[in-house]
Amino acid sequence: MSESAESFTITIRKRPWWGWTVAGLWLLAELLFVQTAVGSMREGEGRAAMISWIVAAVLLAAGLVAWLRPQRTHKQANAQS
Amino acid sequence: MIGKSNRTGRRAFLKGGGLVAAGGALSSIGALMPAGKPEVRERKHTLWIRSVDRPTLSETTPNYTRFSGRNMFALYPELKAQHDGEGSLEAEQKSAEKRSAQEMNERKPGFTLADRQLGSGAWTLMHNTKPGVGLLSWTRISVRTPTELGTQRHSAPPEEMANLVKSAARLYGAGLVGISPMKEAYVNLKQPGDDPHEPAKDVVFAEVDVPAVTETQHVIPKKMKWVVTIAIPMDIDLLSRTPTTLGEAATALGYSRSVFVVASLAEFIRGLGYEAIPMVNDTAQSVPFAMEAGIGELSRLNKLVTPEFGPAVRLCKVFTDMPMACDKPIDFGVVDFCKHCKKCAEACPSHALSFDDEPSFKTVGVWNNPGHKAWFEDSYKCLQYWQKSGTSCAVCLTSCPYTKGDQAWIHEGVKAVASIAPAVDPILKTMDDAFGYGKERAPEEWWTKDGSSGRRG
Repeated sequence: MSESAESFTITIRKRPWWGWTVAGLWLLAELLFVQTAVGSMREGEGRAAMISWIVAAVLLAAGLVAWLRPQRTHKQANAQS
Repeated sequence: MIGKSNRTGRRAFLKGGGLVAAGGALSSIGALMPAGKPEVRERKHTLWIRSVDRPTLSETTPNYTRFSGRNMFALYPELKAQHDGEGSLEAEQKSAEKRSAQEMNERKPGFTLADRQLGSGAWTLMHNTKPGVGLLSWTRISVRTPTELGTQRHSAPPEEMANLVKSAARLYGAGLVGISPMKEAYVNLKQPGDDPHEPAKDVVFAEVDVPAVTETQHVIPKKMKWVVTIAIPMDIDLLSRTPTTLGEAATALGYSRSVFVVASLAEFIRGLGYEAIPMVNDTAQSVPFAMEAGIGELSRLNKLVTPEFGPAVRLCKVFTDMPMACDKPIDFGVVDFCKHCKKCAEACPSHALSFDDEPSFKTVGVWNNPGHKAWFEDSYKCLQYWQKSGTSCAVCLTSCPYTKGDQAWIHEGVKAVASIAPAVDPILKTMDDAFGYGKERAPEEWWTKDGSSGRRG
């Protein structure tokens, strides 16, 4: 987002196709581990449930960091090079 | 600026992703809801359960013959005399009973009076019937025949007849049902009675119209060319409390349910105008018939492993002359998995299971029927542990990686991977250990646990 005296300019950058694919896979993996954790709890498998919750939490954190981390603009990239 | 095509693509993707997420979320909510009606599973035609022409581990040699049918309990005093040179089943049972009384008085978890009597209640049906008598009668009990009802016996194409029988069996409580052709080689030569000192009766095939149980023989009509084999799922959570008297209730209930299912199914078949012989462990070998009927595969346990319930099933069967379409054997990778796994052999407290990498024709004792390939078990050690622990153990059943609850989807996926890619079997076994599956659960917690936890069967 850039700013002048009278206006803001918001740039919505396009994510590449593979970015969306990775995001989709991440969502599926997240769902699988959450379901495994919930299912394992219902099965009375405490250790399996705990491991699944931990994997789901780590995956969630990693996914959010990857998704939300600021990306360099073309200008920044060009300036660096 | 965002181009139109890009916008549409992303919207479609998000829509698809949203649907997947919504579906997953709904399913997750479904997993959180309490279990509803009792489980009845229709075998799905999945990619990982392959139909085959012959059961895996079905290799036989010319010395494969009908098994004597002498049961282990009858054999035990004789075996003990051979093995140890002293002692008897009666003496051991007496000492086990004394120990059991002490455990009940001390309220030892898993061995209290309530724990023991839970099993006693569950045994009721099984302990009050015997082969050829009562609910397991080889002839009609009370159902009215088609003639009595003023009609003709039911007739339909074999596939339809098979569906009738399978639907009825599932209604009565079967977890899995399969139909195979009669093979006399799988039928025992003798049928031992309750009293080990009483001579066993001969089991014979004869050109007769109705089955009969006489003073000396169990007569099976030769026209009985079909065998319905049924797997009754056991309560995995309760079974996981073994080796205790509490955990034994799962075995007891499995047997009593078997009696109910085969007795009901036999009456149903008789009601359609045909003959039927219901049986549980008696009269014939359940495992080879179950393998032929596509219910499961033979495993390192020398027991059947099913794709749905693992080895935690009780098998029972009905012989009949009702023409039906037969099922095909299945292969879902159990034999390959067992070669690497060995978890049951490691867990067995009596060291009765084989650690051999490959199955073989090498038997361990007279309780094994020679002439076929298997991982043969040492039933003597197994039964000796039963006596020592005062329970019927079943640790091998709970430790098997195929014995899983049905709440987590991942189990189905793991079984599919084991079937399709045997190369990863060692990794799957390591993961199974890491996730803590197959461990004994605290018996005292069973009485206060949430009723829906992991319950199957």
